[in-house]
Formats: sequence, structure tokens, C-alpha cells
Amino acid sequence: MSDPRNDVLGVGLLGEGLHHPGEPPAGIRRVPTGVDGLTTEHLIINMGPQHPSTHGVLRMLIEVDGEEVIAAEASVGYLHRGIEKLAEHRRYNAIGTLMDRGDYVSGIHGETALALAAERLGEIEVPRKAQWIRVLLAELNRIASHLVWYGTFGLDMGGMGQFLYAMRDREALLDILEAITGQRMMFNYVRPGGVIADLPAGIAEKIRVFTDTFDAYLDEHDALLGGNEIVHDRVKGIGVIDREKALAFGLTGANLRAAGVDFDVRRARPYDAYAEMDFEVPLGTTGDAWDRYQVRMGEMRQANRIIRQCIDGMPEGDHTAKVSRVLRLPEGEVYASVESSRGETGIHLVSDGGDTPYRMHYRAPSLFALQALEDVLPGHLIADVVMIIGSTDIMLGETDR
Amino acid sequence: MQPRADDIRTALAGGVPDAEVAETTLGVVARVPLGMVLDALRALQAAGFESLVDLDGTDTGELIELTYRVRSYAHGAEAYVKTTIAYDGELLSAWEVYPAVLMPERETAELLGLTLAEHPNPKRLLTTDGVEPLLRKSVAVRTREEVRFS
Amino acid sequence: MSPVLAASLRVLIAVGLMMANGVMMIYMLRKVLGHLHLRYGPLHVGWHGLLQTPLDVVKLLTKEDVTPRAVDRWLFRLAPLAVFVPSLMAYAALPFGPGWSIVSLDTGLLYTFAVLSLVPIGLLMAGWASANKWSLLGGMRAAAQQIAYEVPLLLSVLPVVLIAGTMSLGGIVDAQQGLWLGVLPRWFVLNPLGLVAFALFVVAGLVESNQTPFDMSEAESELVTGFATEYSAMKFGLLFLSEFSNQFILSAIGVTVFFGGWMLPWIPVEWYAEIPVLPAAVFIFKVYIGIFVMMWIRGTYPRVRVDRMMELGWKRLIPAGLALVLLTGFIQKAVM
Repeated sequence: MSDPRNDVLGVGLLGEGLHHPGEPPAGIRRVPTGVDGLTTEHLIINMGPQHPSTHGVLRMLIEVDGEEVIAAEASVGYLHRGIEKLAEHRRYNAIGTLMDRGDYVSGIHGETALALAAERLGEIEVPRKAQWIRVLLAELNRIASHLVWYGTFGLDMGGMGQFLYAMRDREALLDILEAITGQRMMFNYVRPGGVIADLPAGIAEKIRVFTDTFDAYLDEHDALLGGNEIVHDRVKGIGVIDREKALAFGLTGANLRAAGVDFDVRRARPYDAYAEMDFEVPLGTTGDAWDRYQVRMGEMRQANRIIRQCIDGMPEGDHTAKVSRVLRLPEGEVYASVESSRGETGIHLVSDGGDTPYRMHYRAPSLFALQALEDVLPGHLIADVVMIIGSTDIMLGETDR
Repeated sequence: MQPRADDIRTALAGGVPDAEVAETTLGVVARVPLGMVLDALRALQAAGFESLVDLDGTDTGELIELTYRVRSYAHGAEAYVKTTIAYDGELLSAWEVYPAVLMPERETAELLGLTLAEHPNPKRLLTTDGVEPLLRKSVAVRTREEVRFS
Repeated sequence: MSPVLAASLRVLIAVGLMMANGVMMIYMLRKVLGHLHLRYGPLHVGWHGLLQTPLDVVKLLTKEDVTPRAVDRWLFRLAPLAVFVPSLMAYAALPFGPGWSIVSLDTGLLYTFAVLSLVPIGLLMAGWASANKWSLLGGMRAAAQQIAYEVPLLLSVLPVVLIAGTMSLGGIVDAQQGLWLGVLPRWFVLNPLGLVAFALFVVAGLVESNQTPFDMSEAESELVTGFATEYSAMKFGLLFLSEFSNQFILSAIGVTVFFGGWMLPWIPVEWYAEIPVLPAAVFIFKVYIGIFVMMWIRGTYPRVRVDRMMELGWKRLIPAGLALVLLTGFIQKAVM
């Protein structure tokens, strides 16, 4: 494995300094070419935080020789809101709103992770129906999130159509999510003990209309990107995060499975009703961008399958356990993780017996993917950089927290 | 899923004899002294825990408790390594054992006010220079006005 | 009329054409992309958003023209002109109808390509003068791609020149009169050699007019907006306009060389050549079909990677073009 040092640029936080006469200006580095003591100049470029394809506010410092990337360093924190600190001052019921703003494209997963942690610590029995509703929403949200990934992946490669086609289907999903939770993105729906409200009447038909059409739409999406010769040319064998590297950098989720590691929290440590669901875990082999694409497309198919099972077998009963309004958890600590759209979202909850957490740590899968990127990007072209960042599906809301 | 505490004990027996291994609500936790963390992580890596999946710190009021979470995909097992460090302590980087700690270590150090040692890039990760270590219990959550007029 | 006045009038006609085309094509682009992408495009200003683009032009004209502090002022100001003027000049030789061109040149084809090859100089100037690394990369890409693809572009029309025996654009159109075997129009695209040449022309033309999937020098997802990043107001407008006009010119050359220019299929040209404006209308209609296809591609395809595009140009298209010219030459000799 190459040296994963990430201050390879040695340019500090900003990468720009004062310009001293006689030296090359900031952002340019003289390096020897190895021929007769001649030197060449490398550009150090600031990619982001306002670059169109750094997915929000990621900032990559890249050193390029022509168009080839020599070194890359990620700089994050532009979205830091101190979620972990704020959570220490909120009751367990109110932390869900913070988790929504972590990974803001798939909020249900963050809420579920927190609820699971609180339930495990407080030994709260969740009614079966609540578990099924959670699975249903988690999978709806997973498709919505993967569609955003699909669209932006297309945008990163310069295709505009894919994004807008994906938004069409996501719109249908957000309508469903809005009908259930009252919100399109910041749901605040999953609470310790269950979910906040029962499913509205008639939602099953609405979801069924979606699931029935979505498989055909997904084939269309797959044909638009995966069936395109240009895309094959750009993604196959590019941005390889193999098994060794994926494990070394602590990757999880689709990025890990693309490297052939068969690990899915839903399968390995089933939470909620996942033990009762019938689904497959798509795997890749080499861990290149094409494998990550295939795995995510497969996950959407499987998610659709799980949604179908959920509406077919939705049990009767309560949507929430009897939980006191001011939830006090016993002293102790617990770790709960869920398979979110981007990997394993974990909550390390420490309680001192009070009505707020003593410490809540939020494991962000994107942060680990970002570390791997610093190692993977050198050797690729600038055009590949945006594609590879897109293929790992990082979400800056959760890296920065 | 959970490994037996005995397995972890045997894995650590050679390199880290001081480790206290116990099963808690968290899982199998090995408490090791600060100086032995790297040895413990190396021993666990040799025992098949090939990936580090998380690192975080907690301010206990007297010192800071660090929790490393390692995982073995082959055995489907998970273990936690805990250690404590003083407020002004120096956190020795474990990136040569598990490169995955590079960014979590930076984050933990800046948010809990620790110094990083032998880290290739000991810069701040999330906040800018001058921001107090937010996750310390002594640092209060303040409104924007309170910060601005203090 | 004094020759100076006549020349000025011709230039004004070209400018007017270019502006009208720009406005029309921007509206068309928005509508075409919109409908390809399951949305409507402009809808509220005027009937179906017809006034949107004219108002945007007004906006561009009245916006603050920002000149960043670090730029090379003279080059920065000169660059939009260096891009705009060649693409204006390229209108000169286009044959809109029998005898209907701003200047009638015997070497019209060569002239148009020669003038268009000046465009990358302007783009490189814009990229360099902006003092922005993304602009620099965009300018470099623009220069590299346009130089690489000028050769295959020229090679792709040479077979037609060999068959038609003239370099005058009007002459090439005249050579496509009549029917082939009494059924098909004698357009060069329906000639087996011409068809291969047309395939080459499409690829090289898309690169040369900086269109998806070869829009390397702008590549908004990679290079922000490439060479145009630091430009605002009408300077940006000029860069933008000349890009649209290059698209028009390449489509026009394609129509002239491969699709019979102003001629309608199966209808003898004598029947309508005398009707004013009709040949020009036919020509412009065909050109806009070509532009529509370009927009269709733009709405569908992702971008090719820059090194693959250069490989395609140097390693495949140039040898293929040379072989085609050679083959056409042999066949012409053998047939004649």
C-alpha cells in the first residue's frame, strides 16, 4: 500500500501563502524533472468548496502535472454544526432533527441509528409494526438517496439528462415520504420506541404504484448510464479501491461491497425487521468505479423488492411502544449501527442516567470514504477526479456533522 | 457476532498483558493503558481484526476516554479498545496500523483539545484555528450573540 | 454605392445574422433540452417564453462587467474579440442560396476552415489572461482539441472536394443536383465514400464546435466553466455567442457539403430557385435540423475523457481520414 500521508502537499490549510519575490507564486510548485537539473511547474489547484461537482462543500486540494493529479488532500468542515455537541443538550426525542441534518439526503437512517441506540440502552421493546414501518421508510429513503447519487454521477461525467430523469422518480418517492412523515427531507419521524405516527390511509396503493413502475424506470436509468459506451470507457478500471485498501481505510457500505467484501449491516447484524426480509446483497469484484455503480444499481433493485414485501406483509398493531415523554436511559454505553445509503452509520451513545446523552458520537461513513479518496486520486486525470468522488457517493453533511 | 472475551484476551495476551477485557453493554471491551494502545491494535490486527471502523473520545469530567472500534469481516466479530488520556495529553497516531484513523484522530484531537503525535497531517479537520475544543464538558453551548459579545 | 459602404453593409448583415442566430439558438437549446429532460424550459416571459432570451441579452448588456484584479487586462479584453471576429468572418462564404452569399469565394471551404482555426488562439488568450487555474486548463484543452481535430475535419471534406472538383461552397452545392439512379438525391451523404466522410465530419465537427460529448474546454463539471470562468456581462456574452455561431457554421458546412445545401430533394432546383428567400429558408431549415441533432446529443450523452478524445483524434481519425482521401482519389481516377 502506498503511503497514505495526506499532507503530501505541505501547503497548510489554505494552500496559498504570501508571494515572495524570486519564488514561484502561491499555488505553483517547482519540481525537478530528473533531466539535466531542469525543473517543471506543478499547479496546486483548489477544487471547491464552490466547485460545481464537489457535492456540496467538499474542498479538494490537488496538485496537477498538466491534467494528471500528483497528490490530493481533502479539506472538510464547511458544514460543521456541532451535531455531537448539540445532542448533549437535547432530550432523546429531539435528537432526530439533528440526525436528519447529518446525512440530509437519507435522514431516516440517521434517525433509526439513534433510536436503535436509545432502545438498546433502555431495553425498549419496539412493536413489530413500528419495525416494519421503519424498514419500509429506510428502503424508500435508500432509493431516493441512490437516485440523487445516480443523477449527480451522471452530471459529474457531463450528462445532464440522467439527473433530471432521476429527479422524476425521486419526486414520486418524496411525495410518498411526505405523505407518511409530513416532510420531504428532514423527516423527524423515527423516535426511540417506534415511529411518530401510523401510516396514513391509502398509502399502500400509492407505494405499490411506485414500486410497480420503478423497476422499468430503473432499467431505463441503467440503460442511460450503464449502457453508454462513453461511460464504460470512463469508469471501468478507474478509481480502484480494492479489498486491501477498503479495509485499511475503514470503508463500509456499497464502497466496501464493490471491493468484494460481503458485509451488510442489515444482513450481518439484522436490526428492526430486516431478519424477516428476503433480499440479496449485490457484490462487486475489483472495487473500481464501475463496480460501485453496479452495486448501487443492484441495491436500488433490492430496496424496491424489500418495499414490496413491506407493503404486502405490513403487520397490525401499534406504531410505537409506551415510552415516557421525557426518556431517561440507564447509565451505560452502547453502539448501534445501521446500513445507511452511504455505508454504516453508527451511534456511540454514552448515558449518565439523565434525560440527555452524556456523549453521542456519530460515525459518518463518508468521512472514511474521503480518506480513501486521498489515496486513490493521485495518478488519475482531473476529469476522473470528479467522477471518482461521485462514484463513492460522499455526503458532506455527515462528514462535517 | 460478538467474540467471546476469552478470544480477545488470548489475542492480547502476548503483546499487552495489562489489558483488562470485559463484556459490557457496548460489547467486548479491552481497556489498555495509553502507552499500550498501538500494541493492542497491532495484536488485534494480527488476530484478524482487519479494519478499524470507528474512533471517538468522551470527556468523562476528569480525563478523556478514547474508544477504538475494530472489526473482523472474516469472523464477523467486533471489539472495542478503550484507553484514557489526560486533558493535556499527547495522542500517538495509530495510522501506521490502521490508516483509517487518519481523519478521526484529527477530529478527536481538535474537538477534545488533544495534541497529535506522529500524525502525518496534524491539522484541524472540522473547525478553524482558535475554536475551543467543542466536545469538552467545560465548553458550553452558546448562542451566536453570546459568542459575539463575549 | 461606394465599395466601403457595400462592404460595411455586408459585415452588418453578418453581424445581424449571427445575433439572430444566437438568440434563436439559445431559445431553441433551452426548449430542446427542457423537453428532453422532462421539463418545459422558459415558459413565462412572452408566449412560451419567447421573450426570455432577448431579455437575457438585455441583462447581459446591462450587467456589471467585472474585471478581476489579477488578470492581464489587455489580453483579457482582447480575447472575446479574438474569439468573436473569426466566427463572424466565417459567415462570409456560406451559400444561403444560388448566388446568395456575403462574399462568393472560389476557395470558400478552405477560407471557412482557415478562419475557424483562429478561434483557439482567442480561447487560449482568454484562458491565460484570466489568471485562474481552471481557465488556464480550459484554454489549454481548447487549443489542444481544436488543433488536433482541425486535420481530421479538413480531411473529412476533402473526398467531397475530390468528387465535386471544386472548393467553392456554391460549386459543391451545384455538384449535388439531380437524382442518383433516378431515385435518390445526389447528395454526397448518400454516396458510400461521402457517408464515411460524413461520419468523420460529425465527430470532428462536434469537437471543433466544442459540443457534448467533446465539450472539454468548458466541461462545467470538471473545470467550472473553463476559459469563460472569469468573464462576466457582455464579454461572456461574446464568448457564448461565438460558440453558438461556430455551431451554426459547422452545421451549415455539413449541410452544404453533404446534404445538398439549399436544394430540396426530388424537386428540380429550377422550379424554385427564382422564388426569393425560399432557397435560403430551405438552407436554414436544414442547418437547424443539424443543430437540433447536436442539442439532442448534448442532452443525452456524458462527456468523453480528454485523453481518450485526443487519442481518438490523432490515432484513429487522422489515419482514417488520410486513407479515405487516398481511396477516393484512386476511385475517382479509376471511374474517370
